Amino acid sequence: MITTKWLQRLGVLCLVLLCFSCYSVKIVSTMGTPNPDPMNDNDDDYRNKRVIILDTVIKAGTTTDAIGLRTQREGCSSGKLHSVEYKNTFGGSLLYLVTFGNKRKVRVKYVCMKTEN
Amino acid sequence: MATTTTFQKSEWDTLHRNGPFRLKMLQITELEGKTNMPSSIDRYNDAAKEIQRLIKEAQDHNHGFRAYGSRWSMSNIAHHSDRMHFNSYMNIDLPILSDEVHSDSSYDPSNLFFFQCGNTIKEISQALGAHGKSLKTTGASNGQTIAGCISTGVHGSALDVGSVQDYVVGLNLIIGPNDDDIVYIERETKPALTDAYAYKIKARVIRDDDTFNAALVSLGSFGFIHGVVIEAEDRFLLKRYVRKIDKNIALKMADTMDFENSGFIIPEETDAHGKPNRPYHYKVFINQYVDDPEYVVEAMYKKAYATPYPDPFTTIEKSVYRDLIYLLINISQKFPKAIPWFIKRLEKTILPEVNEETLGTLYETFWDAPYQGPAFACSFGVDHKDSSKVLKILTDLTINEGPIPGIFAMRFVKQSEATMAFTKFPISCVIEIDGVLWEKSRKLMSLKEFSRRMIQVLQQHNIEFTMHWGKNADWGFPGLVNYMFSDKADAWKAQRNKLLSPEMQKLFSNDFLKTIGLADMDTIIPIPIDDGAVAPIV
Repeated sequence: MITTKWLQRLGVLCLVLLCFSCYSVKIVSTMGTPNPDPMNDNDDDYRNKRVIILDTVIKAGTTTDAIGLRTQREGCSSGKLHSVEYKNTFGGSLLYLVTFGNKRKVRVKYVCMKTEN
Repeated sequence: MATTTTFQKSEWDTLHRNGPFRLKMLQITELEGKTNMPSSIDRYNDAAKEIQRLIKEAQDHNHGFRAYGSRWSMSNIAHHSDRMHFNSYMNIDLPILSDEVHSDSSYDPSNLFFFQCGNTIKEISQALGAHGKSLKTTGASNGQTIAGCISTGVHGSALDVGSVQDYVVGLNLIIGPNDDDIVYIERETKPALTDAYAYKIKARVIRDDDTFNAALVSLGSFGFIHGVVIEAEDRFLLKRYVRKIDKNIALKMADTMDFENSGFIIPEETDAHGKPNRPYHYKVFINQYVDDPEYVVEAMYKKAYATPYPDPFTTIEKSVYRDLIYLLINISQKFPKAIPWFIKRLEKTILPEVNEETLGTLYETFWDAPYQGPAFACSFGVDHKDSSKVLKILTDLTINEGPIPGIFAMRFVKQSEATMAFTKFPISCVIEIDGVLWEKSRKLMSLKEFSRRMIQVLQQHNIEFTMHWGKNADWGFPGLVNYMFSDKADAWKAQRNKLLSPEMQKLFSNDFLKTIGLADMDTIIPIPIDDGAVAPIV
């Protein structure tokens, strides 16, 4: 009994961990300067950079193929991309599967280039 | 109009988290858009007006004012507890036409460029690249602003070139809120621009070698550096080699700078007689915790720019989990004896890959350095002839009284003409220990204690040295600046007194300047001048 109960708990824990487990891939331009942000004191790769985070679930129709995202004016006045990081999670993939592609988890971080004067 | 946004920020920190430091307000100036003010000169002058307004505002509130760019310095040199000004958005570059170059100038007009303070090394390199030009040297990376670089003496390892400030040939400073407080300074013996150009930027011209050399490495205290004129050169390529060689040969080259007779031969880099060529750049990496008979060295040779050449950038780049580094540091604080073992394990991440070879421009070779968590660096300038001796003294200290979570490296830089440049020897060996920032524990001394001990042991061995203004040190060590610069420090203060009013000297002083004893105005002796008024003289 105890063994089964503990196994169930372990299974739930593993499922939770799997849903949050993730990896990210970042593409960085070799040209251009990242837009700085003196207010960004985060202890990560984006420290001192103006990073824009899109973390949402996009509802797409079953006939929708690709989803496009555009840079926003706020924080990206140059309109040019310096780096884009896409994060994939098991939970996101699962959501896509169980909703037959109807709901798509999107987690993108991007930094634009500094405006040239 | 250029606009400034003020944030009531209570804390400020360096990029590498060497603070935090107290702050009253952070001000960020953004330039007028090109569509509303198409002329670059107009926008530049408009920005100058805005800076003067901010200086007046700070003065009226009896506040200090300090500009900063990329916050890369690890010391508190860029900090002021009253008002800090972020100037990285001020990144105009102005054209210099051939008829705007001084008639007595020895510079090739096509090599002169004017950049506003907030331009980073990367931005400048790209702007120059568009003209087929290049900077002469940079630091190990490209994120610093030009004003920050010259204020602190940023250097690479270009042994016959110098530091970043050494190719700056003109300075546009804002030294107060009044109309005649915008000045353009250059050397009298090496003029660069015409008076007409200076008038275009509303600046009063000062041609004086001593004033220019003092203002060049200003420690951020000669006013607001608004723009700089730099001398570039034709774009070139650097062929880079990483080798592991006998440490005695590596150290002998450091002590003598005699590469020709060193025995360090790269077959592709020899002259017609088979003798080694003199490199553009030479760097030695030392893991002091390993008794290895060989050191990793990096040598670069200058080549004429020619295309095509292979893409120097690798497509895939991996990084170590930052949390892993934090974990190692936490363990190290409790069990310092583990530090050498950790460093050995991370050697592949810290040191360049042995036998690596690349070819690229200066811009491509000294590229982005990603933020990798809290870091420290202590950096000493010594005569290159003392390189191996100083290395032994400092590594012995680190092993015997540490261990400290960092490793040593040596770079070599030609002498600077700047009064307070720490590259003051004919060729300075800049010997540095870089690593991960740690906290003092029962078994591990603090960074301040470590840096104090380094100063003490060098003084005990009668080593003449300087220290990098932007790196960690026990800056309050008694008599430190006098030991490093003696009468040069007085000359620097005298020039500052001559250029800045007492009110502006106070406004542009900060804790760093006070700590090292350069903020006081004790060399000013007021004497009456002819009309009965009192003028300060030095």
